[in-house]
Amino acid sequence: MELRPPIVIASGVGGMGEYLKLIDPKHIGAYTLKTITFNPRRGNPPPRLIATQNYLINSIGLENVGVEKFIEELENRVYDELFKKVKVIFSFAGENFEEYLLVAQKMAPYQDRFVAFECNFSCPNVHFNPLSNVVELERMLSELRKRLNVFLIAKLGVEGAFIEEIAKIVEDCGWDGVTLINTIRALHVDGDRIIKGGISGPVLKPIALRAVYEVRKKTNLYIIASGGIMNEQDAEQFFKVGANAISVGTALYKDPKMIEKIAQKFS
Amino acid sequence: MENFSLTRSELVQLTADTFIISFNEWIDFEPIQFIMIETETSIVRKPFGLGRWNGKLAIGVQIIGPGTNYIVQQSVLNAHGPCGKGFVPPEGKGAMIATPACLPMALDLHKRCSCDVFIGSLEELSIEIPFPLVVGDEAFLSLLRSLEGYDWFLVIGSDQMEKISYDALKDKAEVFVSFNEYMACGIGACRGCAKETKNGLKHLCIDGPVLRGEEVWS
Repeated sequence: MELRPPIVIASGVGGMGEYLKLIDPKHIGAYTLKTITFNPRRGNPPPRLIATQNYLINSIGLENVGVEKFIEELENRVYDELFKKVKVIFSFAGENFEEYLLVAQKMAPYQDRFVAFECNFSCPNVHFNPLSNVVELERMLSELRKRLNVFLIAKLGVEGAFIEEIAKIVEDCGWDGVTLINTIRALHVDGDRIIKGGISGPVLKPIALRAVYEVRKKTNLYIIASGGIMNEQDAEQFFKVGANAISVGTALYKDPKMIEKIAQKFS
Repeated sequence: MENFSLTRSELVQLTADTFIISFNEWIDFEPIQFIMIETETSIVRKPFGLGRWNGKLAIGVQIIGPGTNYIVQQSVLNAHGPCGKGFVPPEGKGAMIATPACLPMALDLHKRCSCDVFIGSLEELSIEIPFPLVVGDEAFLSLLRSLEGYDWFLVIGSDQMEKISYDALKDKAEVFVSFNEYMACGIGACRGCAKETKNGLKHLCIDGPVLRGEEVWS
């Protein structure tokens, strides 16, 4: 996969393309859509967000229309403008192993429209953690590889097993890349309120750097680094430890124009 | 929708903690739309309702923490917008009930649709305003009881002030409320500002911020 610039808009944060209202597409290598699941998901009840200077905790809970509605939207050309402007990565997940396969099956006829499929194995806001069952995960990776010819990326988190061990399995199953890392389960106490969700932002950067470093040592996978990249200096560190591209998420909330600054440095 | 920088024209203190900031630049917006302003104290931008002051683009800011304090201190602010669905005033006689920080929005709405405006404050304001002002909880409740003959109300303030106002006004006319919910993107991407309504989840940055009160509280 060739991304110029090597900058990806992260799934979730980027919604379904809305940030193209604020960012010139020439600064974006690929735009990852919000994760689509087999069934529609209403997402988690509010409050869904809390932010500080150093982190954001989100509890969106994969709110999405479900794969059938998404395909209907594709057929109705809802995303044609987006496809014209940028390369698009399709992100998907399931509430069990079977649902991952069903989404892949339904989306297989449309895979040529996307530069890659990113399989979200690590959302901290759902109960199912595929990374905690390595045997089943391996079976699913192989099955998904058989069903899809597109550039396949596994989005991994650090909860479940050592990430480099999982990444090696991903590579051995014939996958092309990994996105490292997803948000991590976290909790914020705000007066009487407790907000549980996935943490992102600057606090994640050292963990993500270590993950990229370890996975690069162990695999030849295409690595999209994600986690606390807030500026071009952060991006540079991830490239130094082995990333092929970087994914920007939470930084968009602070300054959408940050993408331009990073792109200018790495174009 | 665009990114822009706003340079401060005037800073007007209304109360001990509430200010109006007007800007040298103008952007076109619809009533009750907002902008997302960057601060150094949080990794997400904060929403502020757009209005006018002395013919200039303006926002109201009540200092409730480091972020709002930062905004009052700066001479240049980075932001994006306008965000949200513009409020379309219904037919008939209307009134906006708001807190002092919403004065720029009230001035804008009044200019556009000639609605009445009532400001409820916990303390006296340091300047004269062109709208009736009530000070203190009792006076505010008395105001709410006295409002008659309107076809619609728009309430903007704190969560508590909005709920009290809705309960007092809901049997008199349609009550619209500008709801408050934590936001991150302000453009409909992140789905963070979800609000439970009787018609399902709504996202305040694209479906709101103004919703019918009965959608949320009936």
